[in-house]
Amino acid sequence: MTLPFSRPWPAALWLLLVVAALLHVGFAMARGLPLQSDIMALLPREDRDAAVQQAKDTISVTLSHHVLFLLGHTDPAQARAAADRLEQALTGAGMMSAATDIPSATAIQQIGRRYFPERGGLLADADRRRLLDGRGSDLASRALSQIFGFAGFADGRMLAADPFQLLPAFLAGLPLPTNKLHLDNGRLTATGNGLTWVLVSGQLTGEATSLAFQKRFTGMVDAVGNSFPRGVRLLRLSALFYAQAGADRAITVSSTLALISLAGTALLLLAAFRSVIPLALGLLSIAVGFVVALSLSLLVFGELHVAAQLFGVSLIGIAADYALLYFAQLFSGQPNPQKRLAKVFTGITLGMLTTVVGYLSLALSPFPGLHQVALFSAVGLFAAYLTVLLWLPRLDRLRPIALGRRAVRWAEMLGAFWLAPVMRRWRWASVVLACLIGLAGYRQIHIDDDVRHQQTLDPQLSAEQSDIQRLIGFAPTGQFFLVSAVDDEQALRDEEILGVRLADLVVTGALSFWNAPARFIPSLERQFANRRLIDEQLIAPHFAALRKTLGMAAVAPLPEPSGTLTLPAVMAEGGFPILNVMVLQPGRHLVLLEGITDMAAVRHAADGIPGVRFVDPTLDISALLAAYRVRALWLLAVSVLLMAPLVAWRYGWRGIPLVLGPPALAVIMAPACLGLAGIPFTFFSAIGLVLSLSIGVDYAVFCAEDERLNPVTLTGITLAMSTAILSFGLLAASDIEGIQTFGAAMLVSVPLSYAMAPLAGRAQKRQSF
Amino acid sequence: MRALLLALLCLAAARVSGEPAPLADGQAIRGQFQQLRQMQGFTNPVRSEGHFLLVPGRGLIWTTDRPFLVTTVLTPEGLVQNAGGNGSFKIGAANLPMLTRLYAMMSAALAGNWRALETDFAITHDSAGKHERFRLTPLRADPSGGMLPRQITITVGRFVEKVDIERSGGDSDHLSFSNQTLGDAALQRSEVEDFSSAEP
Repeated sequence: MTLPFSRPWPAALWLLLVVAALLHVGFAMARGLPLQSDIMALLPREDRDAAVQQAKDTISVTLSHHVLFLLGHTDPAQARAAADRLEQALTGAGMMSAATDIPSATAIQQIGRRYFPERGGLLADADRRRLLDGRGSDLASRALSQIFGFAGFADGRMLAADPFQLLPAFLAGLPLPTNKLHLDNGRLTATGNGLTWVLVSGQLTGEATSLAFQKRFTGMVDAVGNSFPRGVRLLRLSALFYAQAGADRAITVSSTLALISLAGTALLLLAAFRSVIPLALGLLSIAVGFVVALSLSLLVFGELHVAAQLFGVSLIGIAADYALLYFAQLFSGQPNPQKRLAKVFTGITLGMLTTVVGYLSLALSPFPGLHQVALFSAVGLFAAYLTVLLWLPRLDRLRPIALGRRAVRWAEMLGAFWLAPVMRRWRWASVVLACLIGLAGYRQIHIDDDVRHQQTLDPQLSAEQSDIQRLIGFAPTGQFFLVSAVDDEQALRDEEILGVRLADLVVTGALSFWNAPARFIPSLERQFANRRLIDEQLIAPHFAALRKTLGMAAVAPLPEPSGTLTLPAVMAEGGFPILNVMVLQPGRHLVLLEGITDMAAVRHAADGIPGVRFVDPTLDISALLAAYRVRALWLLAVSVLLMAPLVAWRYGWRGIPLVLGPPALAVIMAPACLGLAGIPFTFFSAIGLVLSLSIGVDYAVFCAEDERLNPVTLTGITLAMSTAILSFGLLAASDIEGIQTFGAAMLVSVPLSYAMAPLAGRAQKRQSF
Repeated sequence: MRALLLALLCLAAARVSGEPAPLADGQAIRGQFQQLRQMQGFTNPVRSEGHFLLVPGRGLIWTTDRPFLVTTVLTPEGLVQNAGGNGSFKIGAANLPMLTRLYAMMSAALAGNWRALETDFAITHDSAGKHERFRLTPLRADPSGGMLPRQITITVGRFVEKVDIERSGGDSDHLSFSNQTLGDAALQRSEVEDFSSAEP
């Protein structure tokens, strides 16, 4: 049989296309490949509730753009000098704008002026609680202690305007974070571990998830850090450092795995064919697959995620299969390359089609990163396939070689196990054994959908974060309450109700800190209620006695709230930058939380308050991972259904269980084996099984194409399986749980598919291409 | 503002312990005070008296005994005030940046470091018999909005004996100190508890 595309022009056309892709990738690399490292970019965007998404984005941007350093030294002046240098270097290079949530003394003054005329309606939370409890005498005593005690800031004018000093108490009670910090020589400072720590806090001006920006930023921090005199300690906290460390690790792992995979594949091919030509041409097909896939992915997506690159490593092993199966025909004795190709054409075409179906089924998942992997892998495979078809027979000058005796014996044993009547009893025994393993293993399966386990945080950065939390009490969390109301006034009222419960949780230790716009600006309803409370519980019972004790002249009554101290009015003053984070739009606010130790108690704090809901993005992503793990398993069934018509067309309806049965059984058995090995089953394991099914179908199709199970065919499949294990098996060595469980699922299911593939040799071919 | 006074107390202590050496670790100053405050809009001056304890590195316990009991504990982390057992009020240093600024001045003074004060005040000095007098005038407009005084005059003998403070609003404070001793910092249990109460 000669193939229609054995003429020169299709090969020449393909060469043109590949050169175009090469030029495109070359230009893209010259400009700097747009690589993404944000792990969140791999995850689906929740589009069910726009308000929740907006809130999550705000929190995510705020957390990811916030950068914080502590510079420590035994000598405070040295610590300050180091802080100044780092801040100047980063702001000077335009990579960071210095920013802190703690207002300056000048800002406090401005705010004080804005609040002063409204003091009649302002009460610190603690003062309000005292008045509600009928303990106005406490506040009267405090007023006296302000005058008689140390650090009495009140002067005669202040006492006349605010006899019980309620406004200073309100301002002093504002929820400013990091209450372990104090100002020293204009710098926020903490003490701990025998050192003075000076804070440098800012907002990143570049994209925190861009690898290029991460490198520039960490490079600058390292350079400045290395130039510090001895004894200066630097602690870092920013999502950027974690992302950069994660990307570094992913790229290192990816490069190492790729190198070992390539080296292993090379050695295997050299050993099998005793020539470098199959290796060189195999690499050529892979390289073409990689370049075309990269080019098309960049055209379609505009950028590429490092995780897609990492999964691309797997592609190397699979794309090698086509070249391998072609070169395995050297063992058949056929001297004509085109005829050798014709022998495997149907097998590799069917195999390519079923695998591409498997890869493309990844695109059905809602994960944007997996869309990249799907396109990258499918295009890469198709390009490698075309290269084998169009170029390899033209470049291949090899003479047939004899198959080694051990290879023949192994192939015969494997074939005989599934086809020879004498092995019938052993076949049944293996079925019983598989059932027992399945029963035992499925009871041991440990499902893990927790997104935090799917990536490994850099231990050095985690330790620095713990130090920072201990030193300055800053422990931001991703969880928050979202308040949705008709207007700001209603939102503030809702926060006041929630605030009572959160304050109780702080007392019980379930939470260390919470912040809401209502803590800065009481609702107008609350301002008027405060005014009444002050009259009833403080002025009426205690003012006359205070006046007499102090010998005060007559004073004007406290002013009534004017109704103009509103959220927009205070935000216009600009003294509290944190309000810009917490107020998403009129009526839509965030309540920020820190140091949660009792998640259940905090979660239920909003129960019964309409329009207030607890949002836990981490939990939501974990829940989504769980949902999509189930979806991925359905995807397996869909893949089988999509492949079935192709298989039925070629091998008839009876061919379906024979060809699709072995890989299907392998993916059913794999979770049981993983369970027995104590490896958790994750969404990524399920995705691994989807890919394994495609690869397993390849093996079965090759066996089905060769009913007599020629040792040549089985040797080709053995080589293919080995290269697949070299790439996928290596992923199981990753320390990132998502990748590790993906690799482990492949490591178990691909050899199982391979071992059972000869069963497909019983299928009868009906149609030919 | 009183923290500034505290700084000066320490400064004087530094003088008596052999300048420019600061208070040694483990030393403390104890003493008594009388205070007279004159405030605008008040018919009579407000008088009070009590005792204090200053421990370098820990802070200050300032106890007004008369006309009624008020205990104030000031540390680098913040301030706690307790009036006659009627509940305590606590202010973290972050909420009152001036407080820590002033506390830092105290620390500088403990080290016998006049320069720390010279960044904020012009200091003049004259002698009168056994006494020396220091006059401090702020160099800049008060960033704290009235918390820094217009002028402070300190009369120093072996220890600080008198402090007169003129404030911008027309108020004034006059403090006189007596029975001051420089001793070791062995604290009573109640004093340890007082210092602990000011921790965040």
